[in-house]
Amino acid sequence: MKISLDWLKEFVAVTAGPKELKTDLTNLGLGVESLAGAPSRITGQGEAGLPTEANPSAQVSGDTVFEIEVTTNRPDCLSHLGVAREVATLYRLPLKRPRIELKESPALTNGAVSIEITDPDLCARYCGRVVRNVEVKPSPAWLVRRLEAVGLRPINNVADVTNYVLMDLGHPLHAFDLARLRASKIIVRRARPGERLRTLDGVDRLLASENLVIADAERAVALAGVMGGEDTEISASTRAVLLESAWFDPVSIRRTAKSQGLHTEASHRFERGADIEMAPLALDRAAQLIADIAGGEILGGILDVYPAPRVRPEIPLGAGEIVRILGYDVPAGEVERILGSLGFRMVSRAASPTGREGLSSSPSGGRPGAWIVTPPSFRLDVAREVDLIEEIARHFGFDRLPSRLRVATRRIGEENLPVQAGRREKESAVSNLLAGLGFYEIYTSSMVDPEENARFTNRPPVVLGNPLSQEASVLRSTSVPSMLHALGWNLDRGRTDLRLYEAGKIYVAKPASAGRRESATKPGGLPDERRVLTLGMSGARRDASVHEPERALDFYDLKGGLEALIEAFEASRLGFAAEGCAYFEPGFAAKFLLDGQPLAIFGRLASRLAREYKFSRDVWLAEVDYDRLLELPLRARSFRPFSKFPAVKRDFSLLVPMGTPYERVAEALAGARDEEVQSFRPVERLPEGKIFPDHYSLLLRVTFQSATRTLTSEEIAGAGRRLVEGLAPLGVRLRS
Amino acid sequence: MTIEEEVSKTLAELGVTEAPAVEALFAEVRAAMDSERQELVSRGAASSTEREKTAKALRDRWLGRKNGLLAHIDEKWLKPSSRELKPIVGRKFNELRQTSAQLEMEALIRDVPVRAKVNSSDPGSKDASFASTGQALSTATGTVAVTTKDSVAVEVTTAAADLTLPGYRRRLGSIHPITRVQREIEDIFLGLGYSIETGPEVETAYYNFDALNIPATHPARDDMDSLYVDAETVLRTHTSPVQIRALRKHGAPLYILAPGRVYRRDNPDASHSPMFHQIEGLAVDADITFADLKGTLDFFCRKFFGEKVRTSFHPTYFPFTEPSGEVSISCFVCDGAGSDAVGRSCRTCKASGWIEVMGCGMIHPDVLGHGGVDPERYSGWAFGLGIDRFAMVKYDIHDIQLFFQSDMRFLEQF
Repeated sequence: MKISLDWLKEFVAVTAGPKELKTDLTNLGLGVESLAGAPSRITGQGEAGLPTEANPSAQVSGDTVFEIEVTTNRPDCLSHLGVAREVATLYRLPLKRPRIELKESPALTNGAVSIEITDPDLCARYCGRVVRNVEVKPSPAWLVRRLEAVGLRPINNVADVTNYVLMDLGHPLHAFDLARLRASKIIVRRARPGERLRTLDGVDRLLASENLVIADAERAVALAGVMGGEDTEISASTRAVLLESAWFDPVSIRRTAKSQGLHTEASHRFERGADIEMAPLALDRAAQLIADIAGGEILGGILDVYPAPRVRPEIPLGAGEIVRILGYDVPAGEVERILGSLGFRMVSRAASPTGREGLSSSPSGGRPGAWIVTPPSFRLDVAREVDLIEEIARHFGFDRLPSRLRVATRRIGEENLPVQAGRREKESAVSNLLAGLGFYEIYTSSMVDPEENARFTNRPPVVLGNPLSQEASVLRSTSVPSMLHALGWNLDRGRTDLRLYEAGKIYVAKPASAGRRESATKPGGLPDERRVLTLGMSGARRDASVHEPERALDFYDLKGGLEALIEAFEASRLGFAAEGCAYFEPGFAAKFLLDGQPLAIFGRLASRLAREYKFSRDVWLAEVDYDRLLELPLRARSFRPFSKFPAVKRDFSLLVPMGTPYERVAEALAGARDEEVQSFRPVERLPEGKIFPDHYSLLLRVTFQSATRTLTSEEIAGAGRRLVEGLAPLGVRLRS
Repeated sequence: MTIEEEVSKTLAELGVTEAPAVEALFAEVRAAMDSERQELVSRGAASSTEREKTAKALRDRWLGRKNGLLAHIDEKWLKPSSRELKPIVGRKFNELRQTSAQLEMEALIRDVPVRAKVNSSDPGSKDASFASTGQALSTATGTVAVTTKDSVAVEVTTAAADLTLPGYRRRLGSIHPITRVQREIEDIFLGLGYSIETGPEVETAYYNFDALNIPATHPARDDMDSLYVDAETVLRTHTSPVQIRALRKHGAPLYILAPGRVYRRDNPDASHSPMFHQIEGLAVDADITFADLKGTLDFFCRKFFGEKVRTSFHPTYFPFTEPSGEVSISCFVCDGAGSDAVGRSCRTCKASGWIEVMGCGMIHPDVLGHGGVDPERYSGWAFGLGIDRFAMVKYDIHDIQLFFQSDMRFLEQF
């Protein structure tokens, strides 16, 4: 909403400078988005010396225009009068109301036109006035300047007056060419099925029965509260004007404006709630101005159809509640001054013996700090005590209210959700660990292309009803394509050292049969949101340097990372399966299983996909079921005493039959180990060759150590022998 | 005198009373050891059995636990040495042990062609520590450090390297700026005793709008243009629905923080993204007032942006709070001046001196009611902030799209 400072001064004798006013308005909740000098066309001055925000006093025309961001609850501030009321309250100045003096002719409006409201649920009031013998022509300079200052285009003197009053008092008006209204009749009704109307913007509109229209005896002539019709528009030949000042139901106007895709100054105000008591005043003001600048004769009386006058609420307000909400006992005098100045009517309320909420007001006198407050008709947003308290807080000043720091008195994490408190710790542990392993965290979009998504999973994604684009029209049910794009983005930019991870979500739609249509207040059919941890790697394990040549990442880099990740948790019963799924390269993919269910699936992206995605290097992927991982406890840190006696390492060179994986060897070793065998690990593996056909050679490094004594060579030899003997069933033997 | 004879006498018996004499004595021992080692090395072509035998003999002669030369030196030279000589004797003895560790290695490396017998030193021997593989050393007190350093020293001296070359580094990854900022914010409130709650991103229109006083007919719904799944299901436009869910689940009192991803139907540009991240905070208790809102958010802003930051609160409108406010902080770059010392306008606060950082307010009684909490008994305050926006302000990022591009040139900076 553009507010001209000059215009504002017609209502309140504000002395504050533009900069000060800007700050003060912001502190009232009327955020000033920008501040500029008014357009200088009228004054005939050039561009030079245009005011800037830093130097607002340099206006060419002497006026300053504030662009105020008016929140949706304050339609009353969509006018100079409304903003002036706030300013007057702030600076403790009187609010000047425009003097309206009408010269009415003996001829009556009532005879010239008739008004009927057939749908009073959508139109609570309709006021009309007629001005005859007008001369339609361009507006005078002062009016043009005013309109241009607030960003409106001048049209003709009659239309300009309606716009002027709109900006002045905030009430939308409409002017019809009376001669074109068939039978001089106004009927406010819902549109008929198939009814059409060509609006002022030249668009031929098909109306629906939810659209309220203004009609004459035969047809719709305006889209009520939104826009007039072209046929009854004021033109140069117009001689008699019917002025409309009405009050339409906000919800209906909002629906119509939305469904017709038509947002106007009028609909903007009506859908937020206009001031129903302003309707006749605005009408008088407009009639007066038209008579002033377009000549003409104002017919006597207003035709005012107002079937059920509004009763304003009476809201009890107590000092105790003010303290309870604001933490400060705003002085009663200040409360009364603020609300009074804002147009609220206040009556002191007797104290009840039980306390602040006592409503049993006795007729004899009141007490300080207890009121019955009636909000003005233009404050539809104020309906409860707390709304009044907000008004007090606004004008008392948020920054003047006290401040105190309080700590929580109840932790739900400890009391009810033991897992929850630990969850964040686990997430931190995971991201710290992955960063330590050289992975960079990424965030990717949840909204993806459905076709690409479907290539990687059978899980149904969540389909959006109004997506921004086809490429972002479903919520992903797999995180793989997102990771591929992230890797591709960087590969395309020449990166050769990629390790990325994302702790994100996938969204799996519930099948339609699963009862999507539960009560809206009860979440039932919401999609399954699962957390997944996705790892992606490509390129070199480490870039080439003087210390080490470049070496490509391989399967075991990925597997090792996952092992480190999983080992951060207490994951007993962890299994392994050398199989992946469709988008992995066969022979380069595997799974970690927890209780037989996949916990992580990982491997090399299938080469057919790598080609399709135009990847220049191998891409390694892992998907971890993050929900399951986070259910596991973090590995407990508790100290286990270690042996005081020396450990001895011995290497065993084994020949293992082809087709016997290390896993089997390890299982057999674990079964055959003496307690002195502290650990073993493979340190070298040579593939089968000429010397040992059908076998591969495995160098096993074993650590022997006793908790109770220093082992003798004989004991070590014995333990080593038993270890090797344990491998005999597998056909494994010592290389001689 | 042979070495054996020398080491069977104390320094006093040898007439060594001054440091130079100690050094000379050790140099002699060292030379003997070196020559014996050389002999072993040069015998490379002999059979492995023989070489092993020689190596073992050499080890026993020098390093044997009871009768090795070093043990004698320890016993005869070091232990009884005078207080004046002890430091120099100790140092020299340690140097000798380092050399002997090399001897050990030389011997072992040439042990057998395969590595099968690496580290087969006698168990229980203190000398096993010379085998220099971390785990084995836990009992060899005193020797550990020396030995471990040894192997490093060996490598450095043999590499003949340019020490000014860059170090051998493992690359560390990084944690995304949004996660970083989220954690930082969470930490501040966790420190005040708040708990963390989450809610679904695909939300019912009821929780996202209606329960928060935004009926379908409300113009405020236009302010948050939503992406929807169907008439009753939307991608949540803010984290505020968690207020209702948490109140229903836990009741009052309640002090929570609800971080998460939210969606708006905005076309992506430098300052808009259809997907971004918010943190909702909420405190409901028997005597929560606007003062708690101010005090807590003031504390939070100082913790997050720095102690010198001032906060300012001004009214605004949210359907779910009453009164509603916005929090601005004095610019932490220009300190609220709007420009720097030479008058250039501040980019961070757009020359205004203030940065608007979040919305807040006293929870509307109807919202408490929708959460199943009696608004006559309890009151509460809530705030909502954009994590992405906080990260942009904190790290001076001017394009929100950078967060979601996964570009390494961006990620590497965090």
